[in-house]
Amino acid sequence: MVFNSRRIKLIFAITLLSILTLVAIGAVMAQDELIGEVPGFASWEEVLAAAEGTTVNWWMWGGSDKINTDVDTDIGQRVQELYGITLNRVPNGAELFVDQVLNEAAAGVEQGAIDLMWINGENFRTLADAELLYGPWSEFIPNATYVDWADPALAYDFGYPVNGYESPWGHAQFVMEYNTALVGEEPPTTFEDLTAWIEANPGLFTYPALPDFTGSVFVRHVFYWVAGGPEPFLGEFDQEVFDQYAPAVWEYLNSIEPNLWRGGETYPEATVMDSMLANQEIAFSMGYGPADAANNIAQGIYPETIRTFVFDTGTISNNNFVAIPFNSPNPAGAMVIANYILSEEFQLKLVDPAQWAWLSPISPAVYSEEFQQAVADMELHPATLSPTILAAAALPEPNGDWVTAIEAGWIENVLEN
Amino acid sequence: MQRMFRWIAIIAIVLGVALPVIPQIIWSLAHRWLFPSLLPTEWSMSSWEYVFSPSSRVVEGFMNSLEIAVFVCILSILVGLPAARAIALNDFKGKGIIEWLLMVPIIVPGIVSTLGIHQLFIRLHLTNTFIGVSLVHLIPCIPYMVLVMVSVFSNYGTELEDTARTLGAGPIRVFLNVTLPGILPGLMVATMFTFLISWGQYITTVLIGGGTIVTLPVVLFPFITGINYSNAAAISLVFVAPAILVLIFTSRQLGQDSAVMGGFGRL
Amino acid sequence: MNRLKLMEKLRVPMMLFPAIAIIVVLFGGGMISGVGQSVGYFPVIGLNNFTLDYYRDVLTDDGFITSLWLTFRLAFLSTLFSSVLAVAFALVLRHTFRGSRLLTLIYQVPIPIPHLVVATGIVLLVSQSGLLSRSSVALGLTQTPRDFPVMVFDTAGVAIQLTFLWKEVPFIGVVVLAVLKSVGPQYEEIARTLGANSWQRFRYVLFPLMLPGILSTSIIVFAFVFANYEIPLLLGVRHPTTLPVMAFRNYQDPDLALRPQAMAISMILAVVAIFLLVAYKRLAKYAVES
Repeated sequence: MVFNSRRIKLIFAITLLSILTLVAIGAVMAQDELIGEVPGFASWEEVLAAAEGTTVNWWMWGGSDKINTDVDTDIGQRVQELYGITLNRVPNGAELFVDQVLNEAAAGVEQGAIDLMWINGENFRTLADAELLYGPWSEFIPNATYVDWADPALAYDFGYPVNGYESPWGHAQFVMEYNTALVGEEPPTTFEDLTAWIEANPGLFTYPALPDFTGSVFVRHVFYWVAGGPEPFLGEFDQEVFDQYAPAVWEYLNSIEPNLWRGGETYPEATVMDSMLANQEIAFSMGYGPADAANNIAQGIYPETIRTFVFDTGTISNNNFVAIPFNSPNPAGAMVIANYILSEEFQLKLVDPAQWAWLSPISPAVYSEEFQQAVADMELHPATLSPTILAAAALPEPNGDWVTAIEAGWIENVLEN
Repeated sequence: MQRMFRWIAIIAIVLGVALPVIPQIIWSLAHRWLFPSLLPTEWSMSSWEYVFSPSSRVVEGFMNSLEIAVFVCILSILVGLPAARAIALNDFKGKGIIEWLLMVPIIVPGIVSTLGIHQLFIRLHLTNTFIGVSLVHLIPCIPYMVLVMVSVFSNYGTELEDTARTLGAGPIRVFLNVTLPGILPGLMVATMFTFLISWGQYITTVLIGGGTIVTLPVVLFPFITGINYSNAAAISLVFVAPAILVLIFTSRQLGQDSAVMGGFGRL
Repeated sequence: MNRLKLMEKLRVPMMLFPAIAIIVVLFGGGMISGVGQSVGYFPVIGLNNFTLDYYRDVLTDDGFITSLWLTFRLAFLSTLFSSVLAVAFALVLRHTFRGSRLLTLIYQVPIPIPHLVVATGIVLLVSQSGLLSRSSVALGLTQTPRDFPVMVFDTAGVAIQLTFLWKEVPFIGVVVLAVLKSVGPQYEEIARTLGANSWQRFRYVLFPLMLPGILSTSIIVFAFVFANYEIPLLLGVRHPTTLPVMAFRNYQDPDLALRPQAMAISMILAVVAIFLLVAYKRLAKYAVES
């Protein structure tokens, strides 16, 4: 048999076409089918049918008008149009999710108040330990195919195995914020430089008091710095390892204390710190949102002179998850929403600096070329670092038990000292 | 001398009251107001637009708060008025204990009872309901209602009621035509306290309301700890406005009638 | 006739019943659960055995006495300052002059405003980048936020005190004012004709009249400040802090093992508050009678 080039081309084309068709079918199937068993439902169709016409109570922090509005329009309106689901966003001040679920469990309530909740690692662990979560489900919803479950940052939430009980929807990475009017254009990107800066400019640096989320991650960076990297803290908690590094960390933090804001007499809340940065009371702030500074500038909260940086040795990143409590009256609706927020349509809005300006937990490569092109065309605010710089600097979170030990140790050795 | 004191007091009161309020009013209209600007460098109505957008849930929360507060006032009158009258006009065994018992919710820190109340309400199927939230608001309201009304009834003679009764008036007519006019100033003040207590409840509403009953404090409190002062200020002003209205209605009674506020002398 | 008698006998209990029932069942029921947790009954996290360990832990903690003292000092000073200012303003406001009605209304404005809203206003006013600090920059007195005196997040708790003062002065004030207005000027006139000077008139005529009102409202103010966690949490230093803040932090911690301690602190707080109030009431009675 002679193969002329035309024929080869034809065969190639047919093969390509079939592959594409298969991929397309696979993609459609991925959109439509459960890829494992979730409690109570045999198929995704059943889930969708059960979800239609229902209300989903989604508990989340309610202190940002931007997030509130974005959730209502980009998620609430869309799930109404697509699936006939009414999203009831329940605004929360303090984290009362755990209390709510726990009290319901104690009283034997089978139809709880919460369907879906945006929770952090510590609360997830408390609820998962008490077996008060619905699941496993998150690995089996159609859009879970987009999630790289082999990535430890997605398979574990603060070292606690996700195991299908939480679904990711956003990505966070620690960045430092600084005021160029006080610091200049070249921020101190190593702990050595930062220490020198603090000594030369007393009263202008501080970090939130632990166990605040943000203060806690700052101190974790000090641990990584003292230990020369995150490796010692990634496994199970080890008291010996902790005792090996902790004294040096406390000593360092106590040594900079006299030159901190208020001479270290007190430490602020994270949000207070942001407004102090805005008003030149301090020169640095910090947080898990790489685009928070840009958002705050746009909202008039920050002056135009705020910029962000990451440490040369990297900064810690983690993911935002949603979970469903064991007694959710509407797990179907909750799963449909969790599935929607992993869709290409929503993730495109999520990463758009002009819209949500978050980071995505999903690698752009799994979405369409249009998605990747759109992401490539997006223009970043000058106060936001590029995803490439951030990805290159990303460090893993330690196991949750380390976090608890660090927080308790800081309170005893730095705050109360 | 006296004139000088008067002027000092006038200035102190007006300035003292106004100073913490002024920044909130300006903030609600500010877009950019950074140190060291004395006034915002950019003004904007965006916070007010947000307040009246459905996403903020301020209007919804306002209506829920209002309905609950009015309902709590009615309950509190129904429950507190007879109790106050019984205490004020009768001597009975264990009166001191009953009086203390009714004051306990003022004195014991709320944190001790809040969680337990939540569990109890779950068992009674009162969570996530309008009634449940109203009942949990009622708890701290009863002491104030009783406190004020006890003192009103103590200074209140029943002779007129007796006369009306001997003239053949039924209990409802006696209450409406004789009792009510006599206690009205005090009742207004007690009702104002009840309204304000219900209006300001946060943690109890979140727990018992379970997110289904979204009131104004539930909407506001996340903003108070946030960094967007413009939104916090605008929602705060919406939150405070009806309270001030209520005050204007009861101001005369509050300032003049010693029997009303004297109730606090009995504690 | 017998039925009427029975009705008459049951009248008072029936009038009291609804109020008592709500307090005993709803509030008392909640209290019992709180007490239960503080002595180790918390089945959700597997605690079923009675223990006083949590009380022992709390009471033997180094920071406990400091926190108790701070809590007491805050409540005591707030009550004292509020009472003094309330008396001073009442002495002026009891007279009728042009605009006195309006002034009295303005004076009452803080009463219905929630503490948290006030706290925000105080921060916007007196923080190192607040309106006062900015005014001082405008006047050329200071340049940077750090030049302005520290009043928020400070160990002295200036902003906390200001918040409570702003709220409680009018509260005590309206009660005292109501008493003075209802008495009228006669007593003072008599004292004047008897040759009493203005200090004597205050000390021997007006003050005794005001005293019951001051004492009773100050009980409410003291109890309120003593148990308040929101304001010191929002405006105070991180450490050392007051007992209610300690209880609240433990209560809010995702680690449920801290919950019994939170409840133990709250119970101690309640007991101390009741003890102080009973002692105060005794003292007050003694003071009024003498």
